[in-house]
Amino acid sequence: MQENYLAKWLNNELTKEELEVFKNTDEYASYKKIADASSKLQAPNFDIDKALNDSIANRPTSKDVKVIRLNPFKKLLRIAAVVLVLVTGSYFYYNSLDETLKTDLAENKSLVLPDASTVFLNADSKLSYNKNNWDENRKISLNGEAYFKVAKGKKFTVETSEGLVTVLGTQFNVENRKGFFEVTCYEGLVSVTHKNKTIKLPGGNSFLVINNEIIATEAPNTSAPSWITNESTFKSIPMLYVIQEFERQYNITVDTKNIDTNILYTGTFTNKNIELALKSICLPNQIKFKLEKNKVLLYAENAP
Amino acid sequence: MDSKTDNVCEEQVYNALFKANSKTIFNYIYYKFGNEEKAYDAVQEAFIKLWENCAKVTPHKAKAYVSTIANNLYLNVIKAEKVRLKYADKSLAISNESPEYILEEKQFHEKLEKALADLPENQRTTFLLNRIDGKKYAEIAEMENVSVKAIEKRMHLALKTLREKIEGI
Repeated sequence: MQENYLAKWLNNELTKEELEVFKNTDEYASYKKIADASSKLQAPNFDIDKALNDSIANRPTSKDVKVIRLNPFKKLLRIAAVVLVLVTGSYFYYNSLDETLKTDLAENKSLVLPDASTVFLNADSKLSYNKNNWDENRKISLNGEAYFKVAKGKKFTVETSEGLVTVLGTQFNVENRKGFFEVTCYEGLVSVTHKNKTIKLPGGNSFLVINNEIIATEAPNTSAPSWITNESTFKSIPMLYVIQEFERQYNITVDTKNIDTNILYTGTFTNKNIELALKSICLPNQIKFKLEKNKVLLYAENAP
Repeated sequence: MDSKTDNVCEEQVYNALFKANSKTIFNYIYYKFGNEEKAYDAVQEAFIKLWENCAKVTPHKAKAYVSTIANNLYLNVIKAEKVRLKYADKSLAISNESPEYILEEKQFHEKLEKALADLPENQRTTFLLNRIDGKKYAEIAEMENVSVKAIEKRMHLALKTLREKIEGI
């Protein structure tokens, strides 16, 4: 008899001979009875239609749950993306803004730049620069007067409304007031570009423009501008600009009466003592002064 | 249903698969564990999975797919209960047979039921799928994920064990 002959028998796979042999065995009747009886058994009832309806009813809920779960996360992601853009955007915006230093009347300030260059800012002046790419581009915008001690490095440029001052590493003073532009080089070499003309200014030389007129001046014999040591020094400068400087240093208004403000003044006044400063200005020119609270009147000797 | 263009995601194809196979899956799990409620849940679970993965399962793989899921659902999780099967032979109830014969038949049925409950789960499942549901050995092999020869072996052993139990050998 072949392997698993009971299975083969139930499946009608036995040969005629095998079937004959099997039928003659004692167990055949029992097997036959079990096989017949078991095929008459019944599994519990199962309602296919009800099960199918249940299955379809179960479907959408499971899909819905998935959609709901995803949504809040996506929304959150969108908000996060917007916040990220705003934060990075404002970060770069604020970084690209220029640094600004400003002095009021009767005020001096000094500033150390990122490369250790130093700037002294005289009264009523303003400068701005971008510290971000300072090493690549040493450029300062100036309105007013400042004295620079420039560290060695790449080209250093001072931009003013009157012209460009370019250096490689030196000490120089730039004054840019209304109708007045002066560059004084104390050490090294300064290149001044004024009205598309470039002038090389070696140490100990000045470049002065008053009312668009280039004026030859003598070399200063100091190593730094006098205002650094709280004095204002002039060499053949029209009285008008001397008075304006005085006004800046003492935050005061100056009125003049019967005075020619175009006369040239050579001299120094202190920025610390107003009486002394007025005397310094007035005595050599035979001018009298009357000091009031926030006002000074300068008048000629023979006037009241 | 074996056409390759058929898609299980199509309502009609899915419904046809459900009608053709859900009863078999129900019986299959019932023969294994003897618990109607669990068998019903297994059918639901398996066919929901089929719907969710309808794009990945071809119609002719669907039957093996749902039986595998139904089978895995309770794998090592629940204890088999006693399988209770009704005797469907109506002739017995309205027969003119002698009381002795009826009594004998009743006793035989009880012995058979007990012997079936005592069979190893895989032999009982295979045997009943063949005897009650008329499943071919090849079909059972597909559902159980074994060879036809293994199913034949189970059938042979099931029948042999049943006789020994009933006759008290």
